Amino acid sequence: MLLKQIITLISKEIVIELRQKYAISGMILYLISSIFVVYMALNIKNASLNPIIWNAIFWIIILFTAANSIAKSFIQESNDLLLYYYTISSPVAIILSKMIYNVLLMAVLILLGLPIYSIVLGNPVLDFWVFGISMLLGACGFATSFTMISGIASKASNSSTMMAILGFPVILPMLLLILKISKNAIDGLSISASSDEIITLVAIIVIAITSSVILFPYLWRSS
Amino acid sequence: MVRLLNRNWWKYAGIALVFYTIIAGFLIEAPKLDILNESIRNLFFHVAIWFAMFILLILSLVYSIKYLNNSKRVNDILASEFARIGIVFGLIGISTGSMWARFTWGAWWVNDPKLNATSIALLIYLAYIVLRSSIENEEQKGRISAVYNIFAFAALIPLVFILPRLTDSLHPGNGGNPGFSSYDLDNRLRMVFYPAVLAWSAMGLWLSSHRIRLKLLNEKINELEQH
Amino acid sequence: MKKFLFLILILLSLNLSAQVDNQSQSVQDKDVPTMADKMRESGKIYVVVGVVAILFTGFMVYLITTDRKIKKLEREMDDVEEKLNRK
Repeated sequence: MLLKQIITLISKEIVIELRQKYAISGMILYLISSIFVVYMALNIKNASLNPIIWNAIFWIIILFTAANSIAKSFIQESNDLLLYYYTISSPVAIILSKMIYNVLLMAVLILLGLPIYSIVLGNPVLDFWVFGISMLLGACGFATSFTMISGIASKASNSSTMMAILGFPVILPMLLLILKISKNAIDGLSISASSDEIITLVAIIVIAITSSVILFPYLWRSS
Repeated sequence: MVRLLNRNWWKYAGIALVFYTIIAGFLIEAPKLDILNESIRNLFFHVAIWFAMFILLILSLVYSIKYLNNSKRVNDILASEFARIGIVFGLIGISTGSMWARFTWGAWWVNDPKLNATSIALLIYLAYIVLRSSIENEEQKGRISAVYNIFAFAALIPLVFILPRLTDSLHPGNGGNPGFSSYDLDNRLRMVFYPAVLAWSAMGLWLSSHRIRLKLLNEKINELEQH
Repeated sequence: MKKFLFLILILLSLNLSAQVDNQSQSVQDKDVPTMADKMRESGKIYVVVGVVAILFTGFMVYLITTDRKIKKLEREMDDVEEKLNRK
């Protein structure tokens, strides 16, 4: 029953997205614009970019894109629509479906972002599989935390600023771990070197999902 | 809890413990260590205040959970005031630590996981205060901020406990440095340290109790005015 | 106010470590880390303890006075409530 609700809700989100397209195209444009701003600002001529900076800037761009795109999960839905959803399905289904949809969204954005970023700023990654793991975990981590934060921020006035204020401190632990794993991938270290960080990151994501599922019903109780 | 805050016995005990901490803290014989010299005594101030802050923030978490359970206004007031005084103690802890670092490690701030974790924790609780001020409806304010308190705490736990063990650091207890338990080999420092933790926690509770009682009085006034 | 008092406390503890820096530069043949023994011998340590104790006494007086004021308010509030309930 729950699973069916979740699948229905996810397919609804995807269908709406594919039909209207302005949200996803807006996000892709945001991504490309940020990459170009960074590229112009850095003004690298022929010398290649320091890998640490390359890594950090890539993930910061993804972070801001995630904050902006996942904000629309709850903040930009109208009150009447939300009320309708709350009456037809359980809150657990709503939060899980939004999270899974956002994971897919983030995966698309990251997979688009990396090639474009590499074209303008180079790609010093040596071990692509480990970097792929960090991208996947990054997508999951950003999506799960930001979805919950978006739910909380949507209840406050001044929602978009609250999204950043509430979200960035909470996302920092994950970000640090993702940066560490990516840096190991860039250096070409084998996966065993990053195993500690990967396990901790998976643990944090699991904690985020569990606490969101437990806490979200309290959030939607009255609007 | 409110009844406990109104009692006086622990406040006088707290005063006694604070004076014990100050007098004994400066007068007892400290272990002779390189680099630290006499400043090991900061253990009774900086580290004890961190512990007190942690206790206050855990209390805030507990009352947030209680508020979600029964929606009593009192629990919301307790949660938010403990968080506030926890932030104050956190700022004091960071400034005392920074000063200690300047004279032992040579810099006001270093790239250290414990320092990063505490800055993030402070940012989270400051965001909690901002979130509270941005919601008008009292009941919603309590509920939404309680949810954020719990969620952010859950996200913070791995950072505070696991990450410091993974990386190198100058802080005692991480990255190969022995934990501070090896500094008080003959329990001399422990004799002042544990009372110090109690002393500063009592002070934190006392400061929060003033704000909490004033807020409860305000609530009563509002209630009576409605009649 | 409280932060100011703590700041004074910290500045005082600075004094101790500053003394140590001076001594460790001049006394380099000792292999035991230098401590503030001179300060303790000359009895100056009691000045430090005394000053800090005075500061904290002031702080405690503030806390106790505020506590009394709040108690008074609470008692008045109870009286008012009783009167209103009787009506």
